[in-house]
Amino acid sequence: MQCFRALPTALRTAVAPKAATAAFSTVQARQQASAYDNVYKSPFVSSGQSTTKIPDFSKYKSSGSPTGNKVFGYFMAGTMGVLSAAGAKATVQDFLVNMSASADVLAMAKVEVDLANIPEGKNVIIKWRGKPVFIRHRTPSEIEEANSVKVESLRDPQQDADRVQKPEWLVMLGICTHLGCVPIGEAGDYGGWFCPCHGSHYDISGRIRRGPAPLNLEIPQYEITEDDKLIVG
Amino acid sequence: MALSNTIYNTFIKRNFIFVGTIFVSAFAFEIIFDKTTDRIWNGINKGRQWKDIRHRYVQEE
Repeated sequence: MQCFRALPTALRTAVAPKAATAAFSTVQARQQASAYDNVYKSPFVSSGQSTTKIPDFSKYKSSGSPTGNKVFGYFMAGTMGVLSAAGAKATVQDFLVNMSASADVLAMAKVEVDLANIPEGKNVIIKWRGKPVFIRHRTPSEIEEANSVKVESLRDPQQDADRVQKPEWLVMLGICTHLGCVPIGEAGDYGGWFCPCHGSHYDISGRIRRGPAPLNLEIPQYEITEDDKLIVG
Repeated sequence: MALSNTIYNTFIKRNFIFVGTIFVSAFAFEIIFDKTTDRIWNGINKGRQWKDIRHRYVQEE
């Protein structure tokens, strides 16, 4: 009895692997066949109908023409461009205006002098941008003297005609080119200016003639108007 | 739709015209904006600015 019961078990164990291989191979074959069909069969769908639901967008579709919509879109983008361009320009301009000279500085930048009040052969010193400016109404003999100098012999060769706009009016910065003292008028060996600090002598055209200064007295920007007004700056 | 076609073909179709239109409009917009805001400002501060009270202090010669 015991032996009889044991036999089928042994038989079964001997047979079972073979049957399993057979079953596996059939499954494989079926899968291969379906791959050749090129259709995916979902195991979860019984009827084969698609469950994907595409929503209906027709409600949102524009009724207007495509060009009208395009124009509207570009108009909005362009309007934003207009606003940002104007804003950017205003910002940059504000910064640049901030950097430029303010009104009080500009008011100090120019000085006006009435030349009619200065008699011939007199010096006048005015203040311009914190610096002294010498104005001399030169006499004809002084003009002659300034022109008769041999320019080549000077330390800083410069014609008198290059230093004045009108020969009778000499306008220059009253700062010694040596170390920045203010020279004294109608003094010195050459009838012009003399710097007391280190003994520089300037002639009647403001050119350096003797002493340590390297350059002639500087000429500022100025203009003489028709009605004898001097505008320095 | 003829109008929108005209606008599209005139201003938008070519990019350099589109950008140029934007810049020209920005220029015009800035002028209008500045004038309008200045007018509003002057309206709010009417009678308080120097140009409003100048005649009281400065006699024209």
